[in-house]
Amino acid sequence: MLVRFWGTRGSLPVAPTAGIVRRKITQALLAADGRQFDSAADAEKFVDNELSFAAGGTYGGATSCVELEAGDGSYFICDMGSGLRQFGLDSLRRNGAGHAKTYNFFLSHLHWDHIMGFPFFVPAFDPTAKIRIHAGHPDAEQALRRQQEEISFPVPFDWLRADIEFVQLNPGETHQVDGVAVETILQHHAHGSYGYRFTDGEGRTAIYSTDSEHKPDNMASEAAFIDFFRDADLVVCDTMYSLADSVSMKEDWGHSSNLVAVDLCHQAKAKSLALFHHEPTYQDEDIQRMHEETIRYEELTRDGSTLDVICAYDGLEVRL
Amino acid sequence: MKYAIETRDADVLIRVDGRVDESTWEAFGAGLSDAVRQARDGHLAHLIIDLSELDYMSSRGLRVLTVAKREGDEAGVAIILASPNEVMSEILAISRYDKLFTITYDGGLKR
Repeated sequence: MLVRFWGTRGSLPVAPTAGIVRRKITQALLAADGRQFDSAADAEKFVDNELSFAAGGTYGGATSCVELEAGDGSYFICDMGSGLRQFGLDSLRRNGAGHAKTYNFFLSHLHWDHIMGFPFFVPAFDPTAKIRIHAGHPDAEQALRRQQEEISFPVPFDWLRADIEFVQLNPGETHQVDGVAVETILQHHAHGSYGYRFTDGEGRTAIYSTDSEHKPDNMASEAAFIDFFRDADLVVCDTMYSLADSVSMKEDWGHSSNLVAVDLCHQAKAKSLALFHHEPTYQDEDIQRMHEETIRYEELTRDGSTLDVICAYDGLEVRL
Repeated sequence: MKYAIETRDADVLIRVDGRVDESTWEAFGAGLSDAVRQARDGHLAHLIIDLSELDYMSSRGLRVLTVAKREGDEAGVAIILASPNEVMSEILAISRYDKLFTITYDGGLKR
C-alpha cells in the first residue's frame, strides 16, 4: 500500500508569498557559503543533506486530499480538498497509461476545506469515468450540489458527465471496496466527521482520522479510537493545534493535537503517525518545530516500540 | 501513581508520585477534584500540585489538569504547578501548558 498526500492543510488553502520564497533562497545561499556546484544533482544533494525541510522545501498549502494506492486497481482518495485538483490532473496521465478510471472517494465530512476541490476535478467531466463517493453523512450529495449552485460556482453539478454514485457507510460495519476492507468511526466535529480504516489484502492498514476533537471531559471515549487505530501501519491524524490551544481558546473548534495523536497511537501500537491538517497560519518553520517537538514527546513518553512520527506535506509518499 | 493531599498554611498541597498516563489519569483526576473541594471548603486560595516526584504525564494527565483548573476557577481556587522535573518541564513546554498554568521551580511550596 502506498499513501500519497495531495493536500495537508486545514481550513483553507495557503501559498508562500514572494517574500517567503526570497527569504528561503537567501538563507540557502548563506548556508552554501560560497560553495560551487557542478550540476543540478549536486545542488539537490546539498539541499537534501544540509538544509532543513523548512529551509529547502515546503509543507505545501493545499487542503486535505490523501490518496491510497491499494486494492484491485481503482483509485482510493480521502477527502476532496483543494489538493484534489492536482490529483485529478495526475490521474489523467495515469489513465492514459492504462489505469482504471474508477475513483473511490471517502469523505471525512462536508466542510468546505474537504470538498472544495471537487468542482475542479477534471475526471468528473469524463463520461467513461466512474466515481463512487463514500460517506457517513447522508447529505453528502446535497453538500456537493450546493457548492456548485450558480450563486457559488459557474458550472452546475448536473453538467458533470461521469457516472457518479453516493454510497453511505455505517460505523461498526466492514465494507469491501475493490479489494480493500473499509471501516468507519464517528468522530467529534461540527455536523459530525468520520475516520476511516483501510486494510488491503496483505493486512496492511492505514487510518485516516482528521477533524476529530478529543475533549478533556470525554476521554473515556478514546478507547474506541485506540481500538480503531490498533496495530495500524500508518495513522494520518489531525494535529492542528497545540494541546493547550485545543483545550482553551480553540476548544470546540473540532480539532486535535499532536500529543493526543501520539498517545492514541502508542496505546494502539501503531507503527507510524503522520501529522496532518496543518494550521493555515503556520509557516513552514512552525510546522517543522511542531514535528520536532512531537518526535521529542514520543521519545519522552514511549513505553514499548518506537512510533515513527512523520510530518505530512503535499507530495509526500509513504509506502507501507 | 500515588498522591497525597495535605493542607499547609494558606494552601492545599497535592503531591504526585509516579506517572499519570492512560491507566492512572482517572484516579489522578479524582484526587485533583478532591483537593479543589478541600481548598474551596477551607476558603483557601491556592492548590499547589507538587510535581517533583512525578516521572511524566501524558496528554490524559495534562487534560485532567485542565478539568481541575476549570473546577478551581469556578471555586475561586488558583492552581499552581510546582517543581516539575526535566521531563515534565519539556512536556509542559511542548504542550504549551506553560502558557496555561503558573509554574514555580523554586519552592513555591513555601508560604
